[in-house]
Formats: sequence, C-alpha cells, structure tokens
Amino acid sequence: MKKIFHGNSVKTFLLKLLIFAVTVAGADIIVGRILERSYFSQRHGYDYLSTHTIQNTTAPVLFFGSSRAVNIFNPAVAEKEFNLPCFNAGREGQSVFYHYAVLKSVLKRYKPKIVVLSFDAGDFANGRDDYDRISTLLPYYEKNPEIAAVINLKGPFEKIKTISNIYPYNSLVLPILSTTLRKDDKYKDIAGHIPLKRKFNGPLHTMDFTKMSVLDTNKINVYRNFISDCKDANIELHIVCPPYLVNSIGTDASTSVAKKIASAYQVNFFDHSADSFYTSQPALFADFRHLNEKGAELFTEAVAEKISQQ
Amino acid sequence: MLGASCYFYMAFVPIYILILGFTIVVDYFAGIFIENATGRRRKLYLVYSLIANIGTLCVFKYFNFLNENFSFLMQGFGLTNPIPYLSILLPIGLSFHTFQAMSYTIEVYRGKQKAERHFGLYALYVMFYPQLVAGPIERPQNLLQQFREKHHFDSSRVFDGLKMITWGLFKKLVIADRLGIYVDGAYNYYTHQSGMALILATIFFSFQVYCDFSAYSDIAIGSAKVMGFDLMTNFKRPIFARNTAEFWKRWHISLSTWFKDYLYFPLGGNRVGVPRMYLNLMIVFLISGLWHGANWTFVIWGAINGFYLVFALITKKIRERWWNLTGIDKKPVLNTAIQIVVTFTLIGFSRVFFRSENVGQAWTIIKKMFSFDGSIFNESATMIVYSFFAIAFLVMVEFRREFFSSRFTLSYHKVFWVRNAYYALLVILILVMGVYDGGQFIYFQF
Repeated sequence: MKKIFHGNSVKTFLLKLLIFAVTVAGADIIVGRILERSYFSQRHGYDYLSTHTIQNTTAPVLFFGSSRAVNIFNPAVAEKEFNLPCFNAGREGQSVFYHYAVLKSVLKRYKPKIVVLSFDAGDFANGRDDYDRISTLLPYYEKNPEIAAVINLKGPFEKIKTISNIYPYNSLVLPILSTTLRKDDKYKDIAGHIPLKRKFNGPLHTMDFTKMSVLDTNKINVYRNFISDCKDANIELHIVCPPYLVNSIGTDASTSVAKKIASAYQVNFFDHSADSFYTSQPALFADFRHLNEKGAELFTEAVAEKISQQ
Repeated sequence: MLGASCYFYMAFVPIYILILGFTIVVDYFAGIFIENATGRRRKLYLVYSLIANIGTLCVFKYFNFLNENFSFLMQGFGLTNPIPYLSILLPIGLSFHTFQAMSYTIEVYRGKQKAERHFGLYALYVMFYPQLVAGPIERPQNLLQQFREKHHFDSSRVFDGLKMITWGLFKKLVIADRLGIYVDGAYNYYTHQSGMALILATIFFSFQVYCDFSAYSDIAIGSAKVMGFDLMTNFKRPIFARNTAEFWKRWHISLSTWFKDYLYFPLGGNRVGVPRMYLNLMIVFLISGLWHGANWTFVIWGAINGFYLVFALITKKIRERWWNLTGIDKKPVLNTAIQIVVTFTLIGFSRVFFRSENVGQAWTIIKKMFSFDGSIFNESATMIVYSFFAIAFLVMVEFRREFFSSRFTLSYHKVFWVRNAYYALLVILILVMGVYDGGQFIYFQF
C-alpha cells in the first residue's frame, strides 16, 4: 500500500484521486446532514419564518413582499379589520421569485382567502441580484419541487450544485449558530412582521427610474404566474405599492407593466408610492423606502380598510 | 487545444474572435517579415505590428475615453464634439493578449525569438486558453517552445496543478467574493458611509483584488500544469512586500516585467541621469495605469504608484538615517512588520482610485476616510465574521509560505493522508463559505 502512494503511475494517480473524492463526498454528507438538521431546528429568526411560512402557516390572510412588506404590514392591525388571522410571509431583500415560490408551497397545503402582494418600484428591472437572492430557498430545493423550479431560473447549474449536501446551506453556518445560541426571541409573536422603530432624519434620496427602464422578462412572467395562480385558486389578490420618501426622476417602467398585468387579470393595484398623506410626514418613515412602526400601523389599517370595502 | 481556446474565448462574445484573429494574422506575418528583412525594414515591420496592436487597443478600449476628453476640451472653447461615441463592449482580456502578442514581435525583432512558421502554434501562443483572458502575460521563449515538446502523463504534475486550482478557487470564492460584498456595499453607496466603513472597505478591497487576481493566475497556471505546460509565476505574496519597489516585484509580475523589458529599459531605465530615471518611472506607471482602464482614476492610480517609487528613491538616505536614529533597524522583526504595514497602507490608499468609478467619487471617499468618523457599515455581523475569517486564513497560509517556506506545510506534507485531509478541508470550506454569486474576475475587464 505504502509503495502505491509513492508511485507516479496512472494507477497511483487514480487511486489517490478516488480516495480524495471519497473523503470529500463523506465530509459533504456528514457536514450537510448536520447543517440540515440545525437549519430546520431553528425556532426563531428569518430562516425560521421562511420555514414556518412554507411548512406550517395556515393564516387565511397572507402578505407577501420584500423588506417593505415585512416592515410595513402589521398582521395584528390587519386582523382587526379582516376578523381573520393574518401572517406576514414577506422576506427582506427578496423579489417576486421568492414570493411566487413560497406561494406555490403554501398552495400545496391550503388556499388562503386573501393575499396581499407588496410591489416595489423597479421590481422587474434587469439585474442579477434578485436571482442570486433566491439562494435563500436552497434548503427547500430537494423536498419542494415547486421551489426548485423557481431556483432553477438562477441558471443551468443549480441542479448539479445541489448534488452537494452542503451547498444548500452555503454561508448559513454563522446565521444558524447565532440563531441557535441566542436565547431571546425578539421576533416571537410578530406573525412575520418586523416593525422599524427609528424616525427618518436624513436628506431626501433621489430615485432615478430611468436607470431601471430595462425589464427582465422572467420577473414579469413570474409576477404574471403569481396572479394567475391566485386567480385559479379563487384567492382574493390585492397588489399594493407602499409609499416612498424620495425625489424621483422619470416614471417607473416596472410599476407601469405591473399595473397593466393586474388590470388584465382584474386585480386591484393600489399605488401609494407617492401618497401625499405619508410623503408629507417624514416622521412616519424609518428611511426612504420603509415606513416606521407608526407609519406601518396607519398604512396597514388604510390598506386593510380599502380591501374590506372592495 | 487551439479549438478549445477558440471555444473558450467565444463563450463570452463570439464575434470578438475576429479581433483576436486580426491581431494574430498581423503578428504572425509581422514575425516572419521581421525575421526575413534586414536594416530599416525590420523596424518598419515591427512598427506596423505595434500600430495594429495598439490601434486595436485604442479603438476598443480608449476611443470613448479619448473622445470624452476631447468633448470636454471642445466645451471649454464653446464648441460641440462632432465625433460620436462608439457603442461597443470591451473585448474580454484584450489588454492581456495584445501585450502577449506584442511581446512576440518585439522578441523576434530583437533576435531573441525565432519567428514561428506554424500558424496554428502561433495562434495557440496568443490564445492558450488558461491564460487568455487575464494572464499571466507570457513570453514566446517560455510558452511557444513548450507547444513543440511532447508531454507525458505525470501524476505529480497533475496533482500540483490541481492543488493550485483548489487554492485559486478558495481565494476567489471564499475570500475575494466574500470581501467583495462589503466593498461593493460601501463603495457603491459611499455617500451614506462613514469614514471608518470606507477605511475598512479599502482594506478589504486590497485583499479582495489580490485574491481575485492571484486566484485567476493560480487557476490558469494550475490548469496549464495539469496539461503539462509551465506558465510564469505571477504573484509572490505581495501582502508581505517591505516597500513599494518590492511590491511591484511581487505583484502581477508578468506585467511588471513586460513594462520593464519593453518600456522602462528602452526609455533608458536607470542608466540615464537621475531626473530622467524618475521621469521614466513616472511614464511607466502612468501607462501602466492606462493599461488597466480608460479612466482618469487609473491614470491617477498609476501616478500615485510612480510617485511612491520616485519619493522612495529621493528620501532613501533620510529614511535610513531616521531608521538608524530610532534604533528600529536593530529590531528586525519590528522593522519588517512596520515596513510591511506601511507598504500595505500606501498601496491600499492608491487603490481608492483603482476601485472608484470616477475621480470625484475617489476624492469624496478619501476626504471621508480622513475624517475617521462613525462606525463601520455592518449589514450583518456574520458578514464581518466571515470576512475576517477569510483574511485570517489567507494571511496564515501566506505567512507560513513567506517566513517558514519549508516548515509546517500541509499542502506538501510528506504523509499522503494529511495532504488529502487538507485539500478536502479546503473543498468543504469552499462549499460552506464560498460565495457562488460573486460574479466575474475583476481583471477580466482589462
């Protein structure tokens, strides 16, 4: 055996390569399984909220969207208006790809009565970031084919990459560790909503929509699928664009397209992006994109009331 | 192999193979004509070849930059520039393969290289895919000859190559792209960042650009090695350079030596008067800056680095005396540590221009950095922890290679199982901590 390892032949080479491959594969299985177990054992934090939404939530009213939805739509306030349990299924930094994948998973289990999708300016703009961020859903790739289909939009190699047991948990070691070690759960009983306490006090931001005029067909198609799946399941869908505190240049091409598609499906599109009630009160904002706790309460109440009146 | 190289290049923008084809044909015939000609005609053919190469660079890389500056100049006289801007993408790795091609014709002209009569072999010299888009910028004496040699399977060579590739992937995915997240966040939104955040981002960028570029070199050299070819060393742990002159002997060696052989020496190098030598250094670094990109930021970056060298030469005696007076020169460890930190800081500072989109941005960032105010931008604690872990791992590995080259080695440990476990660990760390959506290599744009 010792002699083989010191040789320089093809046989030695292949043997060493095989041993290396077996070592890596073995380590991949062991580490991957540990990470999987740890990931799904989390009982609070962002990943837990995603798992809860995908696997457990049964609320008849669901809010979808990015950080703007997470920070703005307060389920406790909405519940008073709807007289139904509400849950905020949004996730920070995510786009329509994530929302659609989560909606599909939810629809496999039950049909919510009302779905509110929060729309952001530039949601359809060309860019890799939204594709990259679907990686958040990689832990669900293997067991949720509907999620896998959306993740595969990232590129042709996702199927190959997910052969690795570790890859779905890439970059998650520290977040899992910190969630597991942290005893306090500041997001407990929030039903997915994370309010922002601070008040905006910075200079007014300028949003240049002319830089977001090239649109991504994939994003538009997924948005369209989101609407049609809700329609097919007889879910009452409302699309809302919460307010911004900005000086804007040009008009947002994404919002125009989103409105047209919503109108074609006879779905409400409430555009509050420049609602003067909010923009005249900077104290209701945490920053230029997000309403703070007070603003969020007022906005949720207003939107819920509007929906109830429909 | 030529077919593979063509396929590799065409995977980016297929039509650009024609540009590469043009320079290959020109330089192939230029080489033969130079060798066959005598007297002034030799020089003439060389000049034709250089014009074709530099002209291609100018059209695709510098046209819009020159045009923009011309417009600015015209505006000063109240006139409008009638020349339209070109709407073209920069062909990938253009500066690299153009310089490699120019190296060939110059060497033939100097009589140090025989003109290659086999068109396929010459084309492969320019297009050899492991180093086609980001170097190392090879010399014909090293690479062309290897294409004529017979190569036999050598498992130790293959393993050496695979080890370099693995380490390159680690540097790219675990270190460079991880640090890039913070750097991009800070530099892209610099108006919202504090001075401390921008200082940290600039430090991170120094490590990022080193790992990004040297990773490509490692992968290129490793891939070539697997196939039986030796490419030149491109980096020698520049983070441990003790002065800026030494830094340039350790950083992007294939480009530094290119400029030394084909620009600095022909300008007279250091065999001229002292003021002329300083001027030569400045010229080399200004052109080196322009080589990196058609933007004033790169020109300023080059100027700063040229200035460092000139300043170091001017103040050499004063610094030695001060070093002697403080007694630091009698404490070699402290002496080395201070020199390394000062060099790293100076080079890092110049990189503010390298990373910034324009001079205005760089200037604002520098002003903010010198305010030393605020807290670091910290989107998530885990991002900072990952970043510091990545840097610590790199410094540890490079420190051992720099100061204990024959000791504590895991990658070349005599016990197979230790080597095996070390590289398995690297692969697992790549899977656990690598950034898979980090984008292209920074130097592809050059």
